[in-house]
Amino acid sequence: MDFQPDLPIPISYVSGRYLLFSIDAVTYLRREHHICGVLIGTLPQIPQQNVFLGLPLQLMPEEARLLVDKGVACIVDEAKAHDGMNTLLEEDRRRYLRDLESQGQHISRIQLDRKERNREQTLKKLEEKKAKAKAKASAAAAQTPTVPEVTSTPSPKNAAIVDLFNAEDRPSSPSTASTSTLPQSATVITPATSYPPLLTPPPSSHLPAPAVPPSYPLFAHLHSKGYFLSPGLRFGCQYTAYPGDPLRFHSHFLVVSYDWDQHIDLMDLVVGGRLGTGVKKGFLIGGAQKGIDEVDSEADRVGTVRAFSLEWAGM
Amino acid sequence: MADADEDAVRAPATASTEPDIDLSDETQDFRFLNHLNFFADSSPSIPRRGEKDFEPNPTELQADVLSASRGAMHNALSYPRLHGAKTRIIAFYAPDGYVPPVQIDRATPKASGEDGKSSESTPKPARPLPNSARISPDACVYVPNPKGQFFKTMGQADSTSRIWLLPEEALYLIERGSLDIRWPSPSGSTEDLSVPMSLQAAYACFMGRGGLTLERYSVYTGLKRLGYALVRAPGWCDDIQQQDADALGSSEITPPKIHGPGLAGMLASLFNWIHDPHSTASTATGPIIGTGIHRSYMDVYRKLAIIPWYDPVTAPERHPFDTTPPFRVVFHIYKPSTPIKKSALPTPDFRIAVVSTRDQTTMPTMTQLGALLESTPLDPPRGEKMDRMMYMRLRHGYRNVVMAVVDQGVVSYLRIADSAFGKEKLYENKGGPQGHKRNYANQKSRKR
Repeated sequence: MDFQPDLPIPISYVSGRYLLFSIDAVTYLRREHHICGVLIGTLPQIPQQNVFLGLPLQLMPEEARLLVDKGVACIVDEAKAHDGMNTLLEEDRRRYLRDLESQGQHISRIQLDRKERNREQTLKKLEEKKAKAKAKASAAAAQTPTVPEVTSTPSPKNAAIVDLFNAEDRPSSPSTASTSTLPQSATVITPATSYPPLLTPPPSSHLPAPAVPPSYPLFAHLHSKGYFLSPGLRFGCQYTAYPGDPLRFHSHFLVVSYDWDQHIDLMDLVVGGRLGTGVKKGFLIGGAQKGIDEVDSEADRVGTVRAFSLEWAGM
Repeated sequence: MADADEDAVRAPATASTEPDIDLSDETQDFRFLNHLNFFADSSPSIPRRGEKDFEPNPTELQADVLSASRGAMHNALSYPRLHGAKTRIIAFYAPDGYVPPVQIDRATPKASGEDGKSSESTPKPARPLPNSARISPDACVYVPNPKGQFFKTMGQADSTSRIWLLPEEALYLIERGSLDIRWPSPSGSTEDLSVPMSLQAAYACFMGRGGLTLERYSVYTGLKRLGYALVRAPGWCDDIQQQDADALGSSEITPPKIHGPGLAGMLASLFNWIHDPHSTASTATGPIIGTGIHRSYMDVYRKLAIIPWYDPVTAPERHPFDTTPPFRVVFHIYKPSTPIKKSALPTPDFRIAVVSTRDQTTMPTMTQLGALLESTPLDPPRGEKMDRMMYMRLRHGYRNVVMAVVDQGVVSYLRIADSAFGKEKLYENKGGPQGHKRNYANQKSRKR
């Protein structure tokens, strides 16, 4: 599971936005670099809901910039890279189609296996039920309770799904000889990424680091302190800061960035402070002491960030 | 509980109704997805939210739970988009947009290992359809052999019954695993080598095409996933054409109701004229209501209403090109329950404007908002319930528009309505002969 993708990870620059399509890159960045992004895609297995979303993952320019500055990722102009599809050699096309076909067959086989197993399971259950009923009928006078066998078998379907698409191939259960009845290429796959068949773009074609808003130093500062940051406008701030992975933790701070010399309206502090306290979070403001013209790079500013948090007392 | 954190913000708005928690508001624990059976016949239900911890601690328990969550997320997201033999719909990418059907139909290359299919996909004799001329120039994917429920609300058919899809429609379908889009087959090769398009390729090719931005697409898919039908509005293009606007305007404008005074009204005005104390009224020198005989409080209040107010009914209807992007209606939205015919679209249930927070960092000005509202048709509060309940009337307004604010993939929807407070004369409600009694009844009914 702890997969390590090749660095730098290519971030797709599509129509002015930063996207990730590789699940391994998404998991890796979340685990190692605390970059969560926002999932914006539809999950093909449950497409009619908005609670769980799937790939692609949208990154804020701040997140993309942070990764590029760390040397973990690079920016690839995806539209340009896909021009390569037209010039793909016939040999490559054929190989790619063959690969996809074998993947599809593999999945069909697993699905068929599972169906077979499900069928057996249900049949077994039915038989058990029948046997039970019989036993009950015959031994109505006797008080022997039947053993609850059924509960001991957790649904194998779920387990199969979980393991289905892990990197290692699961040894398909030898119990069924269904492989012979497999229809040729019954299942076709739409791959998530275009690499392969496209080759990884050379470093010379990488785009420069993303432009970031003035709030970047505060973003980078909090990130360097171990916070997970996500876009926060919905909660009335610039970023929401989580002490750990948002999968498991609630956020602690509503973050708003200011320039060091910026005049702050007292009402903004009151409003932010009350809002934060009302949702059991701190209202955090901060900014870099040095302007961009006083230092060499954006990274130098990050070291000069100071942050303050406000909390409404006595509420 | 710490659970209530994010939802507490929303609480005041929904306090009267049951505590309704929007699960999509925050990051969900993907472990719950594992409990769903993706291959069940019935559609799976969404799990309830789980417990979250306050802050990380160095226990192994917490680390295990977190890694289980991440593992579950990894599994859920790596689930592939599969096309079974029976449900598979093949489409082709046309990089140059719509091309009229040619005699030799190149739309039927045999997909690899799909022998049974090829006989089906041979072109049917060209049967001209009434709407074949109206294919959007932005359409860039065609489905030679359309089937399934999706094309009821999506796509436009050409004269050979191929369905042409707009970029957002194609992207939505490929993303939900319902469409197998192929790259165009290379010219000059005999065998079929049309490669399936990946999700990444689809984003790269369709995003930015014909005015489709990621923000608009986020709104489109977000609402599609909930079952709404979305159609591009005339305001979609930033360089909107005048004639489009005219076409829209003439069909959608409801003429404002003009009510004449009627006989009773005329008598009343005559009566008023006799008793008019106006001659002595002056805001500058004397009492506003004048020094004449005042027979009822109504008259007094009416005299006191000296602040001019705005009546949305009389506001001029404006064309979408008067608005400034992004404050412009880009989608017409239909509820799942609204029956839709692609050739004759009904009046939309909602109109939506899409705003990206990174491109537009300020609130709209009054002028921008006014133009946006006035570009929508008049939708006065009607119906028995609206007549009875004043606050519903105020909330509904006379024109309304939904604004989707997209913050880096996170969408918030705001409904903006043009309320007419000036039209709700509270003194008429409470005054009158029954006075106290009626007033009491009103209050009671409102509290319920």
